[in-house]
Amino acid sequence: MRFRARMQDALYMREFQSIIATLAKLAKECIMILADQQMHFIVNEEHNSTTAPLVWASIAAADYFPEYKMVPAREDHPYIVLAMSAAHLSRALAALRTGATVNSCKLKLQRIQFPCFSVIASVVSQQSAEPREVVHDVPVNVVAASDWPAYKIPKVPTSQLVLSMPSLRMMRNVIDSLKNMSPTMIFHANAGGELNLVAESEMVTITTAFRHLLLRRLVNRDPTDNDEQQVAPDASCSVDCRKASSFFSALQLPNEELSIGIDSENCIHLQLDVRESVVLHSILPAVCF
Amino acid sequence: MYHSKKLHEKGIIRNRKMLTQSQYGDYKFVGHLDHIKTFHACIKSLCFGENGTVTFSEEGLRITVEQGKSIQATLFMDPKFFAEYHVKDLTSFGLKLNVFAECLSLFGVMDCSVKMLYKGDGAPLIVLLEPHNDDDVSTECAIKTLHVDEPIEYELDENSASLNVIFMRGPDLFNIFNELDKAAEELEFTLSPQRPHFKIATVGVVQAESTVEVAKSSDMILLFNCRDTTVARYKSQQLRLMNKALQAATKVAIKTDASGLLEMHFMMQSGDAEEIYVQFFLTPLLDI
Repeated sequence: MRFRARMQDALYMREFQSIIATLAKLAKECIMILADQQMHFIVNEEHNSTTAPLVWASIAAADYFPEYKMVPAREDHPYIVLAMSAAHLSRALAALRTGATVNSCKLKLQRIQFPCFSVIASVVSQQSAEPREVVHDVPVNVVAASDWPAYKIPKVPTSQLVLSMPSLRMMRNVIDSLKNMSPTMIFHANAGGELNLVAESEMVTITTAFRHLLLRRLVNRDPTDNDEQQVAPDASCSVDCRKASSFFSALQLPNEELSIGIDSENCIHLQLDVRESVVLHSILPAVCF
Repeated sequence: MYHSKKLHEKGIIRNRKMLTQSQYGDYKFVGHLDHIKTFHACIKSLCFGENGTVTFSEEGLRITVEQGKSIQATLFMDPKFFAEYHVKDLTSFGLKLNVFAECLSLFGVMDCSVKMLYKGDGAPLIVLLEPHNDDDVSTECAIKTLHVDEPIEYELDENSASLNVIFMRGPDLFNIFNELDKAAEELEFTLSPQRPHFKIATVGVVQAESTVEVAKSSDMILLFNCRDTTVARYKSQQLRLMNKALQAATKVAIKTDASGLLEMHFMMQSGDAEEIYVQFFLTPLLDI
C-alpha cells in the first residue's frame, strides 16, 4: 500500500485547503478514499448525524496533482480507504492558505510507528533563500477491505429539477434566519426558474422567492408524455433547517454559484463545482412535518 | 400575497390563516419604508420584551413593550418617515417582537425596502422585503397578530417644580454607560442645577465605588434644564436593556422629577431627514 502526491500551483493548493477546511467545520471524522485517478472525501457518512448533513467531495487527481501515485494493498483492490480527524488534516494544510509563500506540497502515506498521512509543505521564508519544510503527520486508520461497503461514495440522486443559484451569500442569510423560526423548511421550485424557500411555524409564515434562476436540468417524471401536454412540473422537498444552515455556514470556498437539485419528497442535492472535475456535494434528506 | 396564495394552492403553505388575499385598498394599514436599517435597529432595541403592542394611527406608528411593571419602551415613527403611509382608523394588535425582528433580518446586512400591510382584526401582519441590489429576490412574511392588554401609561408632569431635562449626544452617553462597573447592581442618578449637574454612581459593589460626573458646560450636553436636585436609584440590569437603543441613538434626552421616574428618549436618525424615537420609562428603586 503506497500513496504519494504533489501539488505545485498556489491556487490549487488554496482550493484544496478550503475544501478540507469546509469538511472540518462539518464533522470531526472524515473518510478519505484514494482511487487510481480520483481522491474522495466523505463526512457524516453514517447519515444520522443530527445537525450536519452528509457531504462529500470528489477531486480528479489530474487537476490538482501533477504527481499522483496510488498503489493499493492488493492488486485487485481499487482503492485505499483511510479514516482520520478532519480537524487535524485541516490544520496540517493551514500553511497552504497563504499560497504565495508555499512552493509545493507533498502528500504521503507512511508508517511512523502507526500509519500516518503526511503533509509536507515546502515554505519559502523571508529570512533565507533555502525553503523550509513544514511537516505534519496526521494519524490515520486504514479501513480494511471488509468494511468498505460502509464507506461507499454516495450516489448523486436523480433530481427532477436542478436550478443554479447565483448568490450564495443571500441564501445563507435567509436560511440562517429561518432556522431560528422553524425546525423545517421547504424548497419548492418550478420549471420557470423560480425557487421558493418556505418556513412555517405557529407564529409566522415566511416565503422567500428567488426568480429567474438558470434551469440546469428538468427531468420529466413520465417520459411518454408528449411535448404538447407537458405540464411544467414542480418539485418540492421539506428539509431540516439546521442541516441546511450548517452546510451553508461551513462553506469556506470562494465560489458564489451553487446548483440545487430537488428530488421531490426525497432529498435536496446541493452541488458546488469548484472546477470541472472537483466537486463538492451535499444531501439534505427529506423530513416529514 | 398573490405569490403565497399560489403556493397554498399547491399545498406548500399549509396555514391558511396566514394568507391575505384581498385587494390592496382593503387594508387598514399600509406602510412602506425605502431603507430597513434604522427601523431594524429600533425594533431590535425593543426585543427585551416578548410581546409588543403595535398601534397605527394618523399620528404614526407606535410599538410598546414592557417587562414586568418597571420598564416600558415605546417606539414612535412619524408618517413622514414612511415613503408611503395609509391608515384607516386606529388599529392596534399584539406582535411577537423577536419574530418580527428575525423577519426583518432575513437578508442580513443587505439593504432592502420594507412594506407592511395589515388587513384588520385577526389577520396577520404582512411584511414584504425586497433587496435593492437584486430584483429577482423577495420575501413575504406573515406574522400572527395577538390580542394584548393595553400598556400602562407613564407620564412625567411637565409643570412639576422638580422636572429635570438633559439632552446629550448619544455616542457619549453610550461610552459613559459602557465604562460603568458592570458588577454594580444599582446605579444612582443625580441631576441638579448646581454641581455636580449630572452624576451617575455605582452602588452595591464591595470595596469599589465609581462615579461619573458631567458638568453642564460639557460638550456632551446639548441642553441642560434642571429645576431641582433629584436623586434616584435604578437597577443596572434594567438600564442595560436600553443599551441597544442607546447604541443606535444620535441624541438622548434624560428626564426625571422628584418621583424618580426616569424617562429616556432616544433619537435615531437615518440618513438626513426624519427621526425615529424610542422612549423608555424606568421606575426607580424604593428609597432605603
